[in-house]
Amino acid sequence: MSYHFGRGWARWTPYLLLLPGLLFYFVVALGPSVATAVYSFTDATGIKGAPMHWIGFDNYREFLFMGRASIDNLDALKRTLIFCIAVTFLQFALGLLVALLVNQNLPGSNIFRTLYFMPVILGVVIQGLMWSLFLYPLGGPAAKLLQLFGTRSEFLGGQPSEAFAWVIAIQIWANMGTTMMIFLAGLQTIPSEMYDAARIDGANTLQVFQHVTWPLLTPSVNTNLLLNIIGSLQAWQLFLVLVGYRNGTQVLGYLIYATGFGQTSGSVTSSFRQGYAAAASIILFLLVLVIGMSVQYFLQRREQRILG
Amino acid sequence: MSKKFFAVLSLLAVASMLLAACGAPATPAAGEPASGGQPASGGQPAAEAQPVTLRVLVHQNPPMVTFMEEFNKKFQASHPNITVDMSVVNANDLSTVSQTRLSANDIDVLDIFGFANAAQPYMKQVDSPNWQQLIEAGLLMDLTGQDFLANYDTSAISDAGSFNGKTYAINLGRVSYSGIYYNKKMFADNNVKVPTTWSELVAACETFKAANIPCMTAGGKDGWPIFVGAYGLTGAIYPDQAALVEGLWTGSIKWNDAKSLDMWTKMQVYARDMMEEGASGVAGDAAPGRFASGAVAMFPGGTWYASAIEAADPTLDWGYIPFPGSDNADDNKYLFGKYDQGWAIAANTPNKEAALLYLKEFSDPANYQAFVDAVGFIPTQPTAKLNTKIGAEVAPYLANFRVGYEQYWIAPKGAGQYANPWASYFMPFGTFDDPQALADQVQADLQAGLDAVK
Repeated sequence: MSYHFGRGWARWTPYLLLLPGLLFYFVVALGPSVATAVYSFTDATGIKGAPMHWIGFDNYREFLFMGRASIDNLDALKRTLIFCIAVTFLQFALGLLVALLVNQNLPGSNIFRTLYFMPVILGVVIQGLMWSLFLYPLGGPAAKLLQLFGTRSEFLGGQPSEAFAWVIAIQIWANMGTTMMIFLAGLQTIPSEMYDAARIDGANTLQVFQHVTWPLLTPSVNTNLLLNIIGSLQAWQLFLVLVGYRNGTQVLGYLIYATGFGQTSGSVTSSFRQGYAAAASIILFLLVLVIGMSVQYFLQRREQRILG
Repeated sequence: MSKKFFAVLSLLAVASMLLAACGAPATPAAGEPASGGQPASGGQPAAEAQPVTLRVLVHQNPPMVTFMEEFNKKFQASHPNITVDMSVVNANDLSTVSQTRLSANDIDVLDIFGFANAAQPYMKQVDSPNWQQLIEAGLLMDLTGQDFLANYDTSAISDAGSFNGKTYAINLGRVSYSGIYYNKKMFADNNVKVPTTWSELVAACETFKAANIPCMTAGGKDGWPIFVGAYGLTGAIYPDQAALVEGLWTGSIKWNDAKSLDMWTKMQVYARDMMEEGASGVAGDAAPGRFASGAVAMFPGGTWYASAIEAADPTLDWGYIPFPGSDNADDNKYLFGKYDQGWAIAANTPNKEAALLYLKEFSDPANYQAFVDAVGFIPTQPTAKLNTKIGAEVAPYLANFRVGYEQYWIAPKGAGQYANPWASYFMPFGTFDDPQALADQVQADLQAGLDAVK
């Protein structure tokens, strides 16, 4: 038998090499996740030294069944799903379209790749500030544009449904570059001979896409779908920066932040409810898990069917 | 050989990484004395003998931050061994940052709003407010008995900084948020009388609109400035706001009774007809500048905005009146507000002497006077004078100063998202266009919570 790292104690080398990474993972990822699950059964405030009591499923009961607040929470859950579906499909479709365009050997295609990817490297605060200025209702560029058509809007500060739609659009703008890049990488792995063969066989552009590009992009499709779904289910930062805590716009991720850090009531002395926020986090985690696993199962089966 | 050599090399590398991580000497926390906070020899306190970095946290309020920067310079000049490291955070984030930095023992002196929202006997299953949670966790220093407390009103100390007979914060001033700034020149140019009743306010706005001048603005982007501006409407109907909160909890007052419906009807006029179009995009910090620029005739807002208005245009001639929410002028004589900023010290600070010295010097009557002059607070030191313009404007109403609803209110668990008297629920800021429908929704959202905690 051959041993890559030698015999005796040297055989432990790979495990020792893995140790720093594992320790890091346990400390910053797995540990806090398990702790969140435990906290969700307590009345923890998140304050060091504060008393903490085991309260069983009370936080879950309150979140899901207590008064009108639970209906508001379920509305936030619904909104999270709407946000996820809208962002996932639009970002996926736009990312694919743009990747196909910039994959052509057209003049300036490198500049366009950079331009489309640029929002990804901006921080959420910068993205939020840019769009807040663009959508400033008192003379911002968007307001002036609407003025040309004799109309106006309050944009992010107006109707919750409109503000929500803007956050969807901005989320797509902010992250489409990543989707595009993954598709672009996938497109560049497709051998040009495949296209040549298809053309010789008389396939038109649509047929080439349908029978060559789309099947061979399957790994990129799977990656993008999963990243988009998980990313959009967990999104909250743009909501914080663009609209704040406003009725009719909250998604689950933002609700968790706001309840955990006492920002839901509008009062500067709101209590800290990290146990309750932890319960909401676990509900979001279960949502992500169920949707993520189901989609992954479906995508893996599809990949096996197409690529064998 | 090469495999073994590689293995040994790898093991050494991993071992050194782990050892480096575990055995690295702990960097002293900012401000921690090199000796670990032990008093210097000769009985001198560490703050005087060794370099100290005092970590101070304040919330964003431009004139206050400017004052604090100057105060810190003076403090450092008179105490060369102390360096003040001041962090500034948005008011909405102050409680979050305070909590995390106190838990991490990363702060010495912190800005804390006046103690409010304490649970009352008639409230069921409510959580303690954040300041009480911090005290109960032992994170705030007991300041009882400190000499500088004597400089403040006993009522301010007991109402806004004490809990269970001990004092944990000094409060630096009261603010009113139920008034309206008005542009005197615009009023004169358009022959508009300063309104003392609701009907006069409506008429004034109609006159300005007819002259193509937007009536009012507010920092709608931040949400709360829209509803804060309308506190006068609630206050005119329910001048005793503690009794209002008790009435809502016990069911003797309903948000959809006839009296409240009058308030909602006026709130709709305020949100829909009085606010300028586009106010929803104006940031809270930008609103005073917009008023000072002459873009609008009035600006409902707190007294803390006065310094920003003066900074934006020192020549602007403005006045400040209580929001006239009623057609009976006698009902409109109240100013509603709260205890604003205060100072507390982290219980576990390694720089106790320096922190106490900081509060002592700040509380010196001369320094405090300079502070209220800069910030425009209604002072909590009895010797301080209302020297500012806003001080002169609010002076006639100070006898009728009342603590506002938001300082008493705690929503019952299970209450819906509309269980508050906020004008921002109305279009164009919210979705409601019918006062009766909103009144019913607000009461239903509140009742759901009251039923849930029965």
